[in-house]
Order: sequence, then structure tokens, then C-alpha cells
Amino acid sequence: MKALEVIIAIGVILGAIFGLSALAYALGGWIEAGFPFFGHRLVESGLPGWAWVSNMLILVLGFVMLIATFLTLAERKWSAMIQDRIGPNRATIDLPGLRGRPLGGVFHVATDALKMLTKEDFRPKVADALLFNLGPILAFAPVLALFAVVPVGPQVTVFGQRVGLQVANPDFGMLWVFAIASLAVYGTSLAGWASNNKFALLGGVRASSQMISYEVALGLGLVGVMMAFSSVRLPELIQGQTTHLWGGTVELPRLGAVNLGIPAWGLFLQPVGFIVFFAAAFAETKRAPFDVPEGESEIIGYFVEYSGMKFGLFMISEFAEVVILAAITTAIFLGGWNIGFGFDSTLTRALTQANLGWLLGAIYATVFWIKALLLCYLQLAIRWTFPRFRYDQIQSLGWKILLPIALANIFITGALILVDPSLRSLAVLGFVEIGFVLALTLRRPEPAGHEADDAHLPADAHGHAPPPLPGAAAASHH
Amino acid sequence: MAHADEREIEEPPPDEDSELEAHLQTKRMMINLGPSHPAMHGTVRMKVELEGETIVHADLEIGFLHRGFQKSCENVTWNQCLPYTDRLNYVSAIMNNLGFLKAVEKLVGLEIPERAQYIRVAASELHRMHDHLTCVGAIGLELGGFSAFLYAIEGRELIMDRVSELTGARLTTTFGRVGGLNRDLPDGWVDRVYRTLDKIHELLGEVDGLLTNNRIFVDRMRGTGVITAQDALDFGFTGPCLRANGINYDVRKASPYWVYDRMNFDVPIGENGDNYDRYLMRMEELKQSEAIVRQSLKEAPPGPIIVDDWRIALPPKAEVYGTIEGVIAHFKLVMEGVPVPPGEVYDCTEAANGELGWYLVSDGSGRPYKVHVRAPGFAILSGVPRMIEGKMLADLIPTFDTINMIGGEVEQ
Repeated sequence: MKALEVIIAIGVILGAIFGLSALAYALGGWIEAGFPFFGHRLVESGLPGWAWVSNMLILVLGFVMLIATFLTLAERKWSAMIQDRIGPNRATIDLPGLRGRPLGGVFHVATDALKMLTKEDFRPKVADALLFNLGPILAFAPVLALFAVVPVGPQVTVFGQRVGLQVANPDFGMLWVFAIASLAVYGTSLAGWASNNKFALLGGVRASSQMISYEVALGLGLVGVMMAFSSVRLPELIQGQTTHLWGGTVELPRLGAVNLGIPAWGLFLQPVGFIVFFAAAFAETKRAPFDVPEGESEIIGYFVEYSGMKFGLFMISEFAEVVILAAITTAIFLGGWNIGFGFDSTLTRALTQANLGWLLGAIYATVFWIKALLLCYLQLAIRWTFPRFRYDQIQSLGWKILLPIALANIFITGALILVDPSLRSLAVLGFVEIGFVLALTLRRPEPAGHEADDAHLPADAHGHAPPPLPGAAAASHH
Repeated sequence: MAHADEREIEEPPPDEDSELEAHLQTKRMMINLGPSHPAMHGTVRMKVELEGETIVHADLEIGFLHRGFQKSCENVTWNQCLPYTDRLNYVSAIMNNLGFLKAVEKLVGLEIPERAQYIRVAASELHRMHDHLTCVGAIGLELGGFSAFLYAIEGRELIMDRVSELTGARLTTTFGRVGGLNRDLPDGWVDRVYRTLDKIHELLGEVDGLLTNNRIFVDRMRGTGVITAQDALDFGFTGPCLRANGINYDVRKASPYWVYDRMNFDVPIGENGDNYDRYLMRMEELKQSEAIVRQSLKEAPPGPIIVDDWRIALPPKAEVYGTIEGVIAHFKLVMEGVPVPPGEVYDCTEAANGELGWYLVSDGSGRPYKVHVRAPGFAILSGVPRMIEGKMLADLIPTFDTINMIGGEVEQ
């Protein structure tokens, strides 16, 4: 019974993602086909003309905001699962058929939103009105703008038009992500500064210092992938990842020739880059273990003076960041919409022949979101497993650990690409690194001296602990 | 505020001419933590002077939870003091109850029945686990590891269930009476305690796995909140906080009371006197206490649970309702209290946070003339400014957690 409910819930979620993706493709195709009189195409090749309008609405306001909203529920439920609790199950609607059924806490999200919207919007008299109001806006807007360059689905033919699920595909691709990601911290610092509260000020200062220390590693972590595929545009990065490192064609009855092989996913080529980027981007979301700007038990946080929906904006931007971080990581390191291992070519051929471009695109977009949701889960699991850093420890993590690792990674990657442009030697190194990290993480730490009497403390707990790679370390916990 | 002003004067005054070239004037920030702040357990206020995030000066202010404990005790009979002692360290109330009773019994010169001694040991150690679980959980919580907190609190909740079966209350136990105990173990309780301990053992494994070897946790705890052994002694530290400095002092071993000398347990000793060692002390003591509870419940002999002396203990109800002697004894005990001979005494037990000392003075009137508590938390709290000055604000949090300051006993 329980299993059935879970299966139904997963089915509903996947169905919704699939439906929304199909709708996005259909709408994009319709706009492209039906509104050619909107003037000349902005970019003739690659970028769809006016489909970006529907993409913006459906991808950013639909996917990102909906997933972020339901992540608040997912976080409550998943953390409850981790902590042996039940989680939200009190809010119900008194309608026939729904009476006394919390439906997994869906109504809790609604009541939560209602609470945010109806609470008094209080501003301290001594706070600077303009900056105080600007804070949440500046924290929230860049987060959504980040998503503009993330391609969710491939370009397929719908209603005779080429449509892709991406708002914009500028030449500078990933640089947009770096530029906009750095802007979000202004909202946080402004909020801390304008509140005229010492705790909030400390939070704002902590946020800026944290941001400076991980930002370099954030960018350098991706350089390896960019070098491997010689591009900074995300669709080209994904296209590059669909090629097979090793593979061949197998003739199967009824299916014809199938391309089997190991895809050149960024994770296989650049595991170190993945860990560096994921750790740095995790710090960007300002969630535990990087939640020092909030530090609820120390300084209560930069948003201590905010109430109502302004606080809600800070909260929802955190969750939106989680979604977007997961989406970007999916696109760069997990092959984007690529299913891999031989499915793609068969599927593409079959559906293109049948002229079902929208179906192909929707399936791929669903695959993309499944990967992104798994990464969201990983982030939540990390958040509920680890304690918080001290803020100077984040700085030393950023400057002394992540930065040298990222730099070394860039040089080694560059050398290997130069020697072997087929990327195979890079992938071999990647698999070795993955194996090494797994071995380090899965190793049982020796019990920390619990055998009583005289001096029995562990000689050096630093030596027993896995390296400070939150992404990798958390993976082994769950 | 006086010294704060002095410090500001120490800064060189800006030179009028070279104001543009001068460095930015730095100012120290005065920040108020508490009395209502998530990291200030109970209600304690801390005025912290910050330079950046470095604590230059910390000023503790206690008294928000002052209830007049000592004076209250002077107006009631000895047994009626017990509910007041519940509220000292409200996380391990039984240890306060029994510690107080032990001091009174020493003043009277009583030897309590063996079964009562075993049950007292078991109940004390159960509440020591309760206290340590709360402390370890709170460390996890305030360092941001909410899961570890809930695992520890689940164990604590199980102990509360057992304690409420034993004493009738979850928190304010009022357990024991002068001369022994007020009630024996409930039927089937021992088996339930064994099952509880099994579950707590499992939960502790989870907490241990989440925290003890976690690099972030170790970095936050190791080398922070350090106090030297000499300072710890000078401030009057006792209990796990003193033992974390490598000083082997435990009242249970130094001057064994009740049946502690028959228990097989070890006292963990640290070496660095930092937060991490204090945390390890508590984790290890949890395991040792578990062994003590098991052993004492297994070895507890059958027999009376309170002395057979109607001047000290209430007579059986049949005697009260059936005989004139019983009625008189009951009346006198309730109205006048236990006749404690005139004199004074200092006695101590090893409570969860350290040496819980009692200085009692009796004038023979049936009510205490003076009750003074040496609360272990008070001495330890006084060492906090020494431990955190010059460190970062974030270090204050684990330091405050590992010393396990309990407002009730500190502020009385």
C-alpha cells in the first residue's frame, strides 16, 4: 500500500514534468510557426526566434518556481525521513474526498505560502527603506536570471520549426552564470546592512566574505569541461557529452543498429572539477554546511529583521538556487538530457522518423529533470547530514583547498587533452579519481578512541576523516 | 560599558591633515547575546565586544532564572526541599534529589538499605545519560547538525518514559526520601530499561557516525574553547569539563558512595581541554553509564527500600490507619519533618556536570537552617570568558554547548 502510494506519487511528478515539457515544446513551436511576423529572428542559427518568451514563462516560472516550491515540502519530508520523523501531515482541506488526507503534506506548502503572504510586512523604523526593500529583490532576481542559459531539452522539430528548451543561448554561455551568480550576494549584503541590526550586519559581512572565497573555485572548477569540449555554450557542452568515449555499433533484431558505449559525461572526464564546482556552488546556495550567513544558532541571520513575503523571497531564492545549481550541474557534468549507454541514437531515430519531435524533446527534458531532482536530493541529504562551517574555515576551504585543486586539475586536464584529443586518457584518469574518492569515502573510519581509561583520544582525527569534499562524502552516507 | 569606552580611547585620534590618507577607522562592536538568544541556554546574557568576528571581551550576566532556591529551602522541611532541587539541574533532576538526600543522611548519620543504594545508582546513571544525551544533541543542533540532535533527543525521550514510570514525572522527579526511596521499581521496568538502553546504544552509534569523525565537526570542536589544566582547576571545574584536561577526578572513584565501588566502570580522561575532548568525554560517559545501569539493576538485591525508622520514614499505611503509634509518627513526620540533629555538613556527589556539593546547616528544628549548593555549572560558566576571549564568535557556540551550562543550577 505504502509502496503503491510512492509509485503513484513518483508517477504524478514524472507525468507533470513530462506534460509541462511537452507543453513547452508545443507552445514554442506554435509561437515560432504562428508568429513569424514578429520581425527578424534575433539570432539566425541555433537560437529559436520568439520561443524564448514561452520558454521563459514555462521554464523559469513553471519549472524552477514549482520545483523550488515543492522542494520546501520535499525538504521537510526528506529531513523527516532522515531523522525518523513523519514530517508535515497536519494541514488538510475540508472538502469531500480530501477530508483528513494530508496528501503527503501538499497543503502544508499552501498554508506556508498563505502565511508568508498575509503576515505583517514589518520594517524597523531605523532601517534604510530603499535598501531594505531592495535586498530581497536583489537576492531573488539574479537567481531566476541564472536559469536563462540552461538548456533543458534539445532542439527538435515541432510544427515544422526548430524549437529548443532554452531561454537564451548567447556566445558567452557559462560566463553569464558566473557573472549573475556573483550578483546574488549583493541582495544578502544589502539586507544585512540596511536592517540596521548588528546580527544582520554580521550575516551580511559573512555572506560577502564567503562569496569571495568560493567564487574563484566556482569558475575554475568548470574550466576543465570547457577545455574538453572547446566551448562555453551549454548546448554544445551537452552535445559534446553525448559522444561515446568507447563504444561500437551492435546490430539488434527489430531495433537495427544500436550505438553502445560509455558517454563522455563531464563527471567521468572531470570528477575533480565536479567536486570543486559542486562544493563551491553549494556555498552559493548558502545552505548548510555553508549557511554561515544565516547561522541560526549564532547570529540568527542576515534576514533577521525581515518578515512576511520579504523573508519568503530570501527563502524561496535559496530553494530556487538549489534547483538551478542542480540543473547547471546536470547540464555540465551529467550529460544534460543525454540518456547515454546506447539509448539515444535508437530513440532519436525512431521518433524523428515518426515525426514526433515534441515527444522526443519531452522525453529528453524529463530525463534532464530526473537527473536534476536526484542532485536536489543529494543537496538536501548533505544539508541534513553535516554541521556548519566556521566562516574562516570556509575561506580556507575556498582558498587553500578548492583553489589549488582546481588549478592543478586545469593543468593536468589541459596536458591530457593536448596529448590525447580523443579524451580517452582524460576519462581513464577520471575513473581512477572516482575510484580513489569512493575508496576514501567508503573506508570505515576507525572508532574515535572509546576504550575508556587513560589517554585514549584519537591521535589525529583529521587523519581518519575523509577529505573535505562535501559532495563525495555525503554520497556515501546515503 | 566602562572598559569599552576606555578601549575606544586607546585608538589613536585621526590626524586632521592626513585624514584622506589615514586608514579607515575601525570600531569595536558591542553585541548583546541573550538573554533570549538561541545559543544562550536557559536565560543568560552575554555582552560581547567584537573586533570583526573576534571576541575581544566577553561579559557574562546571570540571574534571569534566579528563584531564591536557598531561601525557599529554609522555610520547608527537609523532605519538602526535594521539589526545589528538581529545578536546579532540570536535565538530571534525580541526581540533585539523591545528592541532597545523601547529604541530609550524612548529617543524620543514616545508612540506607542496600536495595535503595543500588536503585539510586541506577536512577542517577540513567539521568546522567539523559543529561549527556541532551548536551551532545544540543552540540549537534547548534553546529547545524539537526539530525544528530534528533537522534540524541529520541534517546532522551526514551529515558524520560522510563523515568516517568519510575517517579511519575518526566522532568521534576522528586525521587527518593530521606532514608531511602519513596517507591520501588515498577513491575517489568527493568526489562524495559534494558530495551531502552539497547535502543540508545543504537542511536548513539548514529550520533557517533554523524559527528565524531566528521571533518567539519572536528574542525569546529578541536582547538576551540581551550582551557589549560591549571586554569580549569583555578576556576573550580569538575566533571567532564575537568577530566577533558587530563585531570582524573571523579567523586564516584575518589570517594565512592552508595555502591559505586562495586560497579565496573571506567572514567574517561582527555588531554587537550578543548571542546572536542569535552564532547568525547560525554560520549564515553554515556557508554559507561549504560554499563553501570545494567550492572546495578542486575545486582540489586531484594529487600526494603527505606530505613525502618518511623522518625525518618513514613510508617506503612496499615500502621497509620490501625495504630496510634503509626498516626503519631505520620503526623510528626509530616508536620515537623525529619528530626535532623543540629550540625553542619558538606557532602558531594558526581552529577552529570561535575561535583554537586551541598553545605547544609541544621539547627535541629526539622527545617534546614541553611542550604547551600555548589553547582558545578556555576564554576564552569565563570571560565567561559577565559575560554573564548580572542577567539571567534562562532567558537562561542560549541564552547557554550560543551560546558553544558544549565540555567537552573547556575542561577538557583
